[in-house]
Amino acid sequence: MKKLTQAILLATLGLGTQHVQAATINKSFCVGSLSKTLSGVSVNFWGFRDCGSGGMGGMGGSATVPGPVLEIGTGDTLNLSLSVNMMTPQESSPYNGHTIHLHGADVQTSEDGVPETNGNMVNGDTYTWTPLDGHEGSYMYHCHVHTVKHLEMGMYSAIIVRPKNTSGAFINQLNVSTATAYDFSQNYILSTVDPAYHTATGDSTVFADYNPSYFLIAGKEGKTTSAPAMTLAAAKSKKVAFRLVGLHSTNSTFEIKNSSGVAQSFKVYIRDGRALPVAKTVTSLDISPGQRADLIATLPSTTGTWYPQVTYKKLRANADGTYPAYATVYGKVTF
Amino acid sequence: MIKKIGLYVLLLVAQNGAEAAVRNFALHIDNGSLTITGTGGTTLSVWGYGESAGLPTVPAPTLTVNEGDTVNVTVYNHRSAQHNFVIKNVTTDATAIAANNGSKTYSFTAPAAGSYVYSDTLNNNINREMGLYGAFLVRPADNSNTAWTGGPYYDHEKIWVVSEMDKPRWNDVASTGGAVATATYKPNYFMINGLGGFDSMMDNNTMIMGTLWQETLVRVVNAGQFSHSLHFHGNHFQVLSINGVRQPTPFEEWDTINIPPMATAEVLYTINQTGDYPMHVHTAQAEGANGVYLNGAATMIMMH
Repeated sequence: MKKLTQAILLATLGLGTQHVQAATINKSFCVGSLSKTLSGVSVNFWGFRDCGSGGMGGMGGSATVPGPVLEIGTGDTLNLSLSVNMMTPQESSPYNGHTIHLHGADVQTSEDGVPETNGNMVNGDTYTWTPLDGHEGSYMYHCHVHTVKHLEMGMYSAIIVRPKNTSGAFINQLNVSTATAYDFSQNYILSTVDPAYHTATGDSTVFADYNPSYFLIAGKEGKTTSAPAMTLAAAKSKKVAFRLVGLHSTNSTFEIKNSSGVAQSFKVYIRDGRALPVAKTVTSLDISPGQRADLIATLPSTTGTWYPQVTYKKLRANADGTYPAYATVYGKVTF
Repeated sequence: MIKKIGLYVLLLVAQNGAEAAVRNFALHIDNGSLTITGTGGTTLSVWGYGESAGLPTVPAPTLTVNEGDTVNVTVYNHRSAQHNFVIKNVTTDATAIAANNGSKTYSFTAPAAGSYVYSDTLNNNINREMGLYGAFLVRPADNSNTAWTGGPYYDHEKIWVVSEMDKPRWNDVASTGGAVATATYKPNYFMINGLGGFDSMMDNNTMIMGTLWQETLVRVVNAGQFSHSLHFHGNHFQVLSINGVRQPTPFEEWDTINIPPMATAEVLYTINQTGDYPMHVHTAQAEGANGVYLNGAATMIMMH
């Protein structure tokens, strides 16, 4: 009975997607080394980059941390190919090679990018995903080989699944509900850096203890409101969508404060790529490692500046149940 | 088959008029050891609650009752230090059970159906860290396969007691009578049900296993001192309850849930495709045993 219901549901979805022009998006990713200067210290990373039209290992720009953000529509098919060759930075066996895990996509085992379940396909593969209607929102991708190191090395970014209109163009809504319409959108990709993890390899005891020194949004430190990691020149009374993508390894809390330091309310519509049955208006939101959230803040009708911010916190609580903070990373929205 | 059993249970309940039972448990506190097998593994000195004297287990035995039952738990302390027994949000007597074979009986009426955590709350978290923790489960009064009376149905039920231990700075020190410097806690072993990942990924009591459209109720209890962010591959789950608070329907669907220390959550995972998938904590070091990848807080989801 349940099977039948599901079959009918899938058939309905199938019919539904035929109204929209489904696109096929072919992307080819390579992996490169890069160094970032964090608080004056150079740290080595591995990042994804678009290999470009040249394909296998061709020239297509430098690797970045986070990697390229991908945007696809529901019903579109993403074919994300990964090239691994002699030039690819990697560990030695058994943690050689790389994969791409489409985190939250719930794809078939063969597309999941987990070497322990996919027959150890770590030397290049194509990962295919067709997000269903209703699955709009933020996802992430990251390497799933020796994840404790490879994710930390910077092999991650976001995949944004967006609704489309009947002619196949993206619309500025979080999902098909018009209540989720926005004027501006920003991806807040959260990550943390323990430099010891960047030099250790294999089954090192270094990986038993995580001591992050650098705290990032979209790969930038943003330690103060005057040097924010993210900036947005918006306008009064407009709606700003924030997509929080948890690629960090600590606790964290997102807030939006005005220039007086007062936390502003925002509305969370989607978590982990699924619309909340009831959208929630809050003034802070915890994002744990692996989680995502899609939310909208409405800017005031008078000119001003808001500071969206992420406070990274320790995993162990104080006696009173609060968590000691490591650092706050700031964004800035002017209107 | 499952439905038939359910029917029998219903009939029995109808016959017995759903009378609450008296449930007696005995727990014995002793010194013991916990072995994490495989690469990176070790044997940790622990203190645990066990069903029999001299046989402590980590985690402690799961105590399972039905809503409304009269519960009597007698705890015997065979160690030379004071200990206690507190079921969070259920019992309130946190006074010590005398050392050297003291005992105490805790009597109470089983509360609302749900998942609870019990532990020794004495000694600045040291007693708990050493292994004195377990799950207390309350099923609906009619013992049906539902999260609570009238709540969502499940085919399978899994209990995940998540925890971690700092061997050099806590277990090695406390077990030899030393003073643990509790300000520093750098756990190097991470476990589900007292198992490293190499064992829990093959453990029938831990893995989610099922056929298409079967539902698994996962009762997660975090007995550790770290927050644990559990990421499920393969499918999203429905969030049924957090810290005993039943969530409104329709339930939210997530693929990652953060369980703070001494918190609980109940999620419902539906098998909606075939395949093999991991479930693991998404923080860096929690995936390993003393740095050895995947011998940490992880298990498998087998969908066939």
